[in-house]
Amino acid sequence: MGAATRQQEILEELRRQIRRMERRPARREGVLACGSSEVEALLPAGGFPRGSISSLCGGPASGKTFVALSVLREAQAGGGLAAFVDGRGELYPPAAFALGVDLARLLIVRPEPARGAVLPGLWAAEVLLGSGAFPAVAVDVPLRGVPAARAEPMLRRLLAAAEKGGAAALLLSGPGDPAIPAALRIDLDAVRFRPALRPVAAGACTEGGHVS
Amino acid sequence: MSPERGPPRVLAVVVPALPLQRVLRERPPAGALAVVSEGAVCHATAPALAAGVRPGDSLVQARAACAGLDVVPLDAAADRAALRALAEALLSLSPVAEVAFPDAVLLDAAGARLSGSEPEAFERALAERALGLCRHMGFQGRVAVADGKGVALALARHTGRERTRAAPGEGALALAPLPLGALDLPSEVARWLSAVGVESAGALAALPAETLAHRFGAPGAAAGRLSRGVDPRPLVPFAPETFPHERWDLESEVGVLESAEPVIFAAKRLADRVAARLAGRGLGASRLRLTLFLDPRGEERVDLPMARPGADAALWLAPLRERLAGLRLPAPVRALDLAVVEAAEVPAEQLAVGDRPEVTRSLDVALSRLAARLGERSLFAAESADRHRPEAAYRETPFRHGRADRSAGSGSGDGSPEPPPGRPTRLLEPPSPLVALGEGGRLTALRVDGTLRAVVSLSGPERLAGEWWNEPFDRDYYRVRLEGLGEAWIYRDGRDGRLWLHGLFD
Repeated sequence: MGAATRQQEILEELRRQIRRMERRPARREGVLACGSSEVEALLPAGGFPRGSISSLCGGPASGKTFVALSVLREAQAGGGLAAFVDGRGELYPPAAFALGVDLARLLIVRPEPARGAVLPGLWAAEVLLGSGAFPAVAVDVPLRGVPAARAEPMLRRLLAAAEKGGAAALLLSGPGDPAIPAALRIDLDAVRFRPALRPVAAGACTEGGHVS
Repeated sequence: MSPERGPPRVLAVVVPALPLQRVLRERPPAGALAVVSEGAVCHATAPALAAGVRPGDSLVQARAACAGLDVVPLDAAADRAALRALAEALLSLSPVAEVAFPDAVLLDAAGARLSGSEPEAFERALAERALGLCRHMGFQGRVAVADGKGVALALARHTGRERTRAAPGEGALALAPLPLGALDLPSEVARWLSAVGVESAGALAALPAETLAHRFGAPGAAAGRLSRGVDPRPLVPFAPETFPHERWDLESEVGVLESAEPVIFAAKRLADRVAARLAGRGLGASRLRLTLFLDPRGEERVDLPMARPGADAALWLAPLRERLAGLRLPAPVRALDLAVVEAAEVPAEQLAVGDRPEVTRSLDVALSRLAARLGERSLFAAESADRHRPEAAYRETPFRHGRADRSAGSGSGDGSPEPPPGRPTRLLEPPSPLVALGEGGRLTALRVDGTLRAVVSLSGPERLAGEWWNEPFDRDYYRVRLEGLGEAWIYRDGRDGRLWLHGLFD
């Protein structure tokens, strides 16, 4: 057996190993931290679960965007990417920057208002969650007023995509929004002027939030 | 001292009956069909040959032999374009390719070889890859590797085998049984040799070299050398000048298409060819345009921006499908044209341990789908801008996957200006007007969207003003806590004193 044959065998073995590495499932297990021990202490597994939806529910200035951006920052900590589906067009990137989010690694999806915010926003979220390329995706679309019968299938697709891609989906919702099939729901309370969090059973967000 | 250079090793890729193959690749399996030029048959399919049609037959003779014969006129320009397209794709295998009209592409096999690889194994592998690319472009090819382009071409065209290899120095041996016509000699030389009874390349090689040189000068000497397997002529490099595009006329072949699925299928075949051509040039498409020609007139253009320049047809299909599925066409499609509108060089990417190419690939697919359906401007990365006007304190930039800096970071070390502290997570554009209620000169409540909310605390102002040269602004910003709402960012416009809600600390 010549040196060339041996070389071929080594190359074949390396190719096999590369193929095996490439076939590793995209799904990521576990939870994503948000960088705040106070918040993480309130969460059942100490973080936001990957492969499912977490609902961040609260009024317009309740702190849900702050929490979402903190999770995205932690998702980027290992060199990963993060995405924010900004259906309302209100995300202010300088604040994300100030919170430590790497803006170069944050994909912002802001559908043109003429196309509507809900359907394109949820579709974009589904694509991003299912891609397996984003450990965390925050989704902020105005669901209020969308009939539950219409919203439910869309949200279930979102859940399926999050499971497929192993991503943590953070769905920002407000009082009166339809129920979200979330593994974890956190009501954020603006009354105490800082986020007051507690995990609650899935369901529609309540007006005014909870005081812990 | 330079190492001794052997004769150039050349891989010849021949597409037999190229005009016929080009017609057939765009049709469903054809029956009796002939390609005709100036009233005579050039090429015919197997059913037509079985029915008695022969190349060279007049059209009348051909139709007499086969009543149901389908006739297609020769389109020399399209055939030449198809051969150039094949050469473009084959450039992925070798740095130098020559288009040898009417039916062949020649590659520099020595230039393509990696140092250290076994020459014979490499040449066989190269031949296989060339045949594979031929099939990818819709052709059944034949290949030959030999010393010099004349020898390789003769072997590929005339041995009748799909693969031929003449080891270095054995060209004459391989050529010997071939008829004299295989050497493509000047007509004067060929006529004379035939007259004196020289019928094969081997017989020609046996003639004294001086005889041919004496009688026919340089062409005669070259013919003698070629018959002895010697052809030192260099390849004439082919350099494509335009971005590739591929067209498929459906009307005459498969009829018009009335639903999205067959159009997608047709587009996929075009995408495969365009991608192969781009890959041959080391380019990647950053924008594609699919033009659908409608029946009987009109056209629909579909622009496909790509997340990243690439030459992978599979990556193009998802956004293509998105766009076509959502398209409402007023008429059936009679032809498609897929063109590269923008392209960029695609450098080879070095993967690091832990990199997962399949994730990069799915990221590219996801971004391309989003760009195709929502528009490129709908997805972006933000970058801090050195502006005092809050709504201009960042700019939208293309999302480049954060590839420039693979290290994790907070984003503060990239040279971007630091934003001032105390900015809200949400900025309202346009700002909402506020109605203020006060008592003794103190702000006590604000009416926000029709709801009166008591002011719990107020801090500020932070004066932001400037841009007198453009659209001057003069604002006093306050951070205000409102009952039942939370913290808001409001400003008093210095020009008219009105109050506005500009952001929320959500």
